[in-house]
Amino acid sequence: MSYFDQKVPPKREDRLKAVIAHQDSICGLAKRCEGKGGKSCLIDDGERGFTQGSICLLLPALAMLNTLPDNVVLLHSALGCGSCTHSQNANVRVGSAVRQGKARDGIWLSTALDETDVISGGEPKLEQAIIEADRRYRPATIAIVAGCVPGIIGDDIDGVAQKLQTQVSAKLLPVHCEGFKTKIWATAYDAVYHTIGRNLLEERGVTDPKPEEALAVLREQEREARTVNLMNVSSMGRVDEQELERLLTALGLEVNVFPVFSHPDSFVKATRAALSISTCPTHDDYFLGYLQERFDVPSIIRHMPIGIANTSLWLRDVAAVFGAEEQVERLIAVEEAELREALEEFRPLFQGKRVFISAGEFRALATANLLQEIGFEVVGIRSFHHDEFADEEYGKLAKEAKTDYVVDIANVQPFEEANLLNRLKPDLFLGHANGNMTAAKLGIPTHVIYNTGLAYIGYRGAYEIARRLHRQLKNPAYNRNLAANLWLPYTENWYGAEPFSYLNTRGRAENE
Amino acid sequence: MSEHFVERPRFLCSLGGAAATVTALPGGVPILHSASGCAGNFAWTQNGGSGLQVGGYCGSLTVPSSNMQENEVVFGGEERLREQIKNTLEVIDGGLYVVLTGCVPEMIGDDIFAVVNDFRDEGAPIIGAITGGFRGNSYWGYDLVLQALVKDYLERGLPKVKGKVNLWGVVPYMDPFWRGNLEGARHLLELVGLEVNSFFTPVDSLESIRRAGEAELNIVVSDIYGQEAARQFEDRHSTPYLTLPLPIGPSASEEFLRSVGQALDLESDRVEAIIAREKRHYYQILEPLTDCWNDLDLQRYAVVVGDGNYAVALTRFLVDDLGWLPELTVCTDQLKDEEREALAGRVADFSSGYRTNLVFETDASEVLGHLNRHWPRAKGEKYYNAFGPAFVVGSSLERELAIQIGAPHLSVSFPVANRAVLDRGYTGFRGGLRLAEDLLSAVVVNR
Repeated sequence: MSYFDQKVPPKREDRLKAVIAHQDSICGLAKRCEGKGGKSCLIDDGERGFTQGSICLLLPALAMLNTLPDNVVLLHSALGCGSCTHSQNANVRVGSAVRQGKARDGIWLSTALDETDVISGGEPKLEQAIIEADRRYRPATIAIVAGCVPGIIGDDIDGVAQKLQTQVSAKLLPVHCEGFKTKIWATAYDAVYHTIGRNLLEERGVTDPKPEEALAVLREQEREARTVNLMNVSSMGRVDEQELERLLTALGLEVNVFPVFSHPDSFVKATRAALSISTCPTHDDYFLGYLQERFDVPSIIRHMPIGIANTSLWLRDVAAVFGAEEQVERLIAVEEAELREALEEFRPLFQGKRVFISAGEFRALATANLLQEIGFEVVGIRSFHHDEFADEEYGKLAKEAKTDYVVDIANVQPFEEANLLNRLKPDLFLGHANGNMTAAKLGIPTHVIYNTGLAYIGYRGAYEIARRLHRQLKNPAYNRNLAANLWLPYTENWYGAEPFSYLNTRGRAENE
Repeated sequence: MSEHFVERPRFLCSLGGAAATVTALPGGVPILHSASGCAGNFAWTQNGGSGLQVGGYCGSLTVPSSNMQENEVVFGGEERLREQIKNTLEVIDGGLYVVLTGCVPEMIGDDIFAVVNDFRDEGAPIIGAITGGFRGNSYWGYDLVLQALVKDYLERGLPKVKGKVNLWGVVPYMDPFWRGNLEGARHLLELVGLEVNSFFTPVDSLESIRRAGEAELNIVVSDIYGQEAARQFEDRHSTPYLTLPLPIGPSASEEFLRSVGQALDLESDRVEAIIAREKRHYYQILEPLTDCWNDLDLQRYAVVVGDGNYAVALTRFLVDDLGWLPELTVCTDQLKDEEREALAGRVADFSSGYRTNLVFETDASEVLGHLNRHWPRAKGEKYYNAFGPAFVVGSSLERELAIQIGAPHLSVSFPVANRAVLDRGYTGFRGGLRLAEDLLSAVVVNR
């Protein structure tokens, strides 16, 4: 039975054995992962006895859902869940401005479950909310997103959606984001893809065309044979999409970017493409498996097109599917030559500078690769989780590593990072959104490794990252001033302690 | 306003407000007993709503959190909390640790006080507050933290000290201008010789907060936020409280000083002399604007959209100080009847006698409907008394409304996504000047 036949998608700790608490080194991980042949992760997950807050799957799920045009997000939870949309809305505004020509605010609603609802159940309120949202906004879709509260009091959002579907004009999309149920927030992508797969994908191809339409149908089929789905769950801004469209178009392909900012009506295209291409295995494996299984759309899910070599590897895989091997080599040769020449300007400032990188696993590793390519020495990596998809990436990095540097698998946990950075004293730090404050207050030059407005992807992205890092390093006074006048909230004892002191101590006091 | 949902809520849950409030205390360290995502949700919310201010000394993703999982939901989370507190005291250097609960531990029935009191008994500076998200919004979370301080942190039985007051009612991060607004209100009180404990400014300290019971008066510059904590303060520490609106601009500041003076029996001649001096300064600074004010015809109709503090305070500044015409005032909080009545009483009492139309509406997309009902649109008449020239003062969610009615716009009330705010504030006489600058700058931005 397909996962998609279930109401709730599996969590990634079960499906992929993904882990969030582990201490290792680049060579250690490369060795563990080598030759495993894509079996699920062989590392047992740890637990920390001290933890800091991070995010839950609700946040990335909303980052996707809020971009969908003509969609209303209805949060079924306590009042605060989903308030993160206040920052995500900036991406919705900019993203719709560059794609559709007009800045548009997302519309999100909350059933704001209160004490009475917690006792008597929230389903009646949810039903009324769905009906009123449908009448007030007349959206194409309403995403009904469950947070922790309904997960504990037992509200059945799928049952409510099923009951009301015939009474409303919007398509109802139940999404399961009960935060306490999974510690791997990348389950968010599965949660959103799950509802897309169950509710929005229909085969609507013409099977028996009238004679006068036959030519048009044939032309459309020809087009589809060269159409690829380029998966974007919101980690690429328009500028990054454009770079990959440029490269894929050069191979004669037509690109269907999916699913962010895609109108629900256009989702049918995704089921008829010749190929789906992921830019990040952390995001898409669950859905691409489904497209293959149900619609026979094959996919490529390997390599992230960040960095020079990685971009070329990514392109070669795509070209091979369409028999364009020679064409792609010519393209790569020209692109790489132009880029390498352009990067020369920046190399002297980068050469030998030591860098620490922190982000989602695949992005951290691919970016580490790029930084090595442009002259930096990687001295540490913190990945938000680990799963099998990144196995090959550790090998790539270990080959180039000057020393066997630390790899911290941690769902953020800046206390470990503060300790590590204080020891390693790198010259540069790249961290995720909300992930640069530790390094910044330690006075280390920082740069955001993920921001949907900036360019990161492909050859253009490699150049733009280098250009931005060059700018950061030319005058790092801002962070230096912070460090001279502020301090992080950690005790002196903590800086003296071993950085992984709290790994695998959870529950120990009680067991002893 | 829907009875079944809130559109784009302009607040977080009580835990979100409580966590922000604790991070704003000097040396304050929140310890969340909640699911892992709550801290990140707050950080992202502040990023988008608080004028680019996220966290502080121990905020954002630095916040210690027990990160409850299914295991704790099944077996209870008290032991996990005990472990987290013990380790937090080792790793995080704080002056006051405050355990705050989210929805999950409350629904499963964890007793945090049983755990917190063990650490208190050992002398750790730690208190707890029950702030589960389903209990209310972030403004209530602020109140709950003040209540916890009043109950478990403030020293009891201190003798009252003449001239000492506490200042409450400005909610950190929920008011993006909280730092400046606290400073401005504090400055007003200092003008008349009072010693002010404002809890959240750089000059406040935990030591002064512990001794807050010495105050002879609590001044709450809000009809809503901090009211319950002020009531409990009076019960426990016998300090009465005075509720006043957020004093934005000269008219409100003048009344503020007079009310405080009366409540504390300050020498009225002295208070009047200070008011006269401050007003003179205000108008001296305003004086050179007079030509352009007239030449550019800077009077405006206005729509004001704001929280329980700003809706009234901004409207009053526009009406009584700037001589603008706010025809519609929208308060976006979910309020009890008596709270609504309090705000309605305020807008009925402007010194210029001008009356706005006050409505209570949480949902941004409904504001235009309220305006259209109040001021019907043109129906093709040759002569039509239009709602214009107009201005929209609200949050960044009101940008769409401003575009729809062709008016300039200024974000003041949460969410403020499109301004960088550090210590700008609108309270006091000088705050009025800041607000006039910002409003008029938006009018002439294309000049």
